Amino acid sequence: MAGADSPSAALRRHDLCARGIRLAGKMRSDVLDLLDTYVEQQGLDASASVAAVEGVPPAAVERWDEQTGTQRLLENLAAYRAFRSLLAQMLEEQQEQLGEADATLGRALAAVLLQVSAFAYHLEELLRLESRGPPSEEEDRPPPQPQGLFEQKLRGLGVLRELAQWAVRSARDLRQLAKPSPGASSSPSPAESP
Amino acid sequence: LGHPQNLKCVTHNLHKMICTWDVSPRRRHGQTDFCYTTNDLPTPVCFKTKEKRVEIPVPHSSSTVTITTNSISETKVFKIHKKDVLFIPVTPRILSLTPDFSTSTLNLKWSDNGSLFPDGLDAVWQIQILRKETMEKVTQVTYHSKLTHEDIILSWNWTSDMPLECTSHYVKIRCYINVTQFVGLKEWSDWSPVEVIPGKDTDPSESGVFPLDTVVAVGSDVTFCCVHEEGQNITNMSYGSKPYPMIQLSSRSHAIRVLNASASDTSGTNVVCRLNNGMMEGTVLFVGYAPDIPQNLSCETPNFQIIKCTWKPGRPSGLYGKRRTKYSLFERTSGKNVSCEVNEMNRERVCGFPVLPDQKTYDFILGVSNPIGQAESSLLVDITQRVHPKTPEKLTVSENNSTSIHLRWFINGSFAQIRLLCQIEISSGHSEQKIHNVSMPGGKFSAYTAHLNALRPYTKYQFRVRCSAAEQFWKWSDWSRVEEYTTSEA
Repeated sequence: MAGADSPSAALRRHDLCARGIRLAGKMRSDVLDLLDTYVEQQGLDASASVAAVEGVPPAAVERWDEQTGTQRLLENLAAYRAFRSLLAQMLEEQQEQLGEADATLGRALAAVLLQVSAFAYHLEELLRLESRGPPSEEEDRPPPQPQGLFEQKLRGLGVLRELAQWAVRSARDLRQLAKPSPGASSSPSPAESP
Repeated sequence: LGHPQNLKCVTHNLHKMICTWDVSPRRRHGQTDFCYTTNDLPTPVCFKTKEKRVEIPVPHSSSTVTITTNSISETKVFKIHKKDVLFIPVTPRILSLTPDFSTSTLNLKWSDNGSLFPDGLDAVWQIQILRKETMEKVTQVTYHSKLTHEDIILSWNWTSDMPLECTSHYVKIRCYINVTQFVGLKEWSDWSPVEVIPGKDTDPSESGVFPLDTVVAVGSDVTFCCVHEEGQNITNMSYGSKPYPMIQLSSRSHAIRVLNASASDTSGTNVVCRLNNGMMEGTVLFVGYAPDIPQNLSCETPNFQIIKCTWKPGRPSGLYGKRRTKYSLFERTSGKNVSCEVNEMNRERVCGFPVLPDQKTYDFILGVSNPIGQAESSLLVDITQRVHPKTPEKLTVSENNSTSIHLRWFINGSFAQIRLLCQIEISSGHSEQKIHNVSMPGGKFSAYTAHLNALRPYTKYQFRVRCSAAEQFWKWSDWSRVEEYTTSEA
């Protein structure tokens, strides 16, 4: 994070981290509920193994504890921006395939999409605190189009599963960021060269 | 020894015949003198040949053939009667075999070679469909046509009971021409060369479950196949949650057959092919109903701006989203077509059609379609006889004197073409409810007034109003809101 913080910035960051952790917790439980609805509604087998979904950043990370705070935030932001676009596509597909037949799933998807968007904004706030600001949004490359509906269903399953993992990881990352220890600080940005 | 024998003559076009013979035992190939003569030839026709095969005209009744093998100066005379000549039609040639993967249909086109034959002959075609790596015969169909002394391209469709992607489909054809006036022997032609539509199981880069995301009617039998990469094996194939016995089509393609499919859930029924590497391929089947003929189609206008048509949809199709049942309203006189926005989940069906300038009578066709089928209902209606005005609004009361008042209200709509009949309901605590009828010319988005007399002074009244078409009654509007008024003291 940004070298020695002023007390107010530290307080602000701690507050943002705390709220982010709560958001991640709520998001995770909602995603798990959504997963149950999705599996049942799409007639899938809950234990189905799904290949890595192209365009979905994996939550698992090697040497997690060696990451700097900025890396954590940047990776989190990239992931939730990707999820935002994937969930938006899922919502569109759901509307196209089911129309009004299953509003429940549509509403649940929209609710999680809202949370993901909110969480992405939250991460941008944290990055702004670092006075380096979040990276500009890349043009949302539309996720690759699955060949058929079954593949589309599996991809949705993969997206939601990964999102649930990310919610766990984000809470851990934010707890790490909230710690005042230097370990949480980022590599000095040019402006802050010691 | 060494003389020609087994002379056989075959014609493919009833004009020329190809005669062939044997020489026994087989001798070194020498020069042969071939002569033939018929009743209507003045002198024999002769020529030399090294082949044991010549083409000569088909005789009217018979030909005498003399074959001399020069090397051993052996001569043999044959008498060929027309009845001994064998007629075998030319082997048919498939011009094109075109697949339509979306409907699993093969379209076959071939020429009937009719120009070779006199007009009016009956031709019989046998078409054989084969499938799988082992080219098993699936079916053989007989097709009849009439020759017209011209080469006609014939076309024939066949729908497979399984997706064409599943495995290669092969087609061949042969024909028999019933030449009644030809006294010789008649046989089927040879089979044409086989034409093939390769399945996806012949393309190393292809895999998947077929048909992909299709829609069928409840009760259909459907064959699904799983095409997988070389070296992979299928552990099982399931429809919904139920595994099915597999039929091997080729080394890379296995099928299951689902009989009498029942209606699927909103998101369709998954057909899953599990592979030994743990991965899954799949497709989704949507099973629903064709739309019923819309019942009780009825159209009315609330305001001479729009015509509202309603109907009873019948059995739900069970199809949703982009596969849902779609409705359109077509008006024959004007040729105008309107597509209707209908929410599949709620039972009420409404569609709006604009009132057209200078048109009273509307000849409607309500078209209903979904991927399984379509239906329609029609209705001829004069909208001046189907006026169902909107609820009167802004009812106000003003007083002339203690026993007479003035009512004024507004109706949204343009009723200039008709007279309106309005009912004013008068209630007061003292006496029974009274209805006062008043008729007036319709206006265009205008207010209407009425005059009531013989009221009691210093009495509290409740008024409300409703209207309808005066001449051709159809429906009353709803009642307006109640307006209360107390007459002044006398």
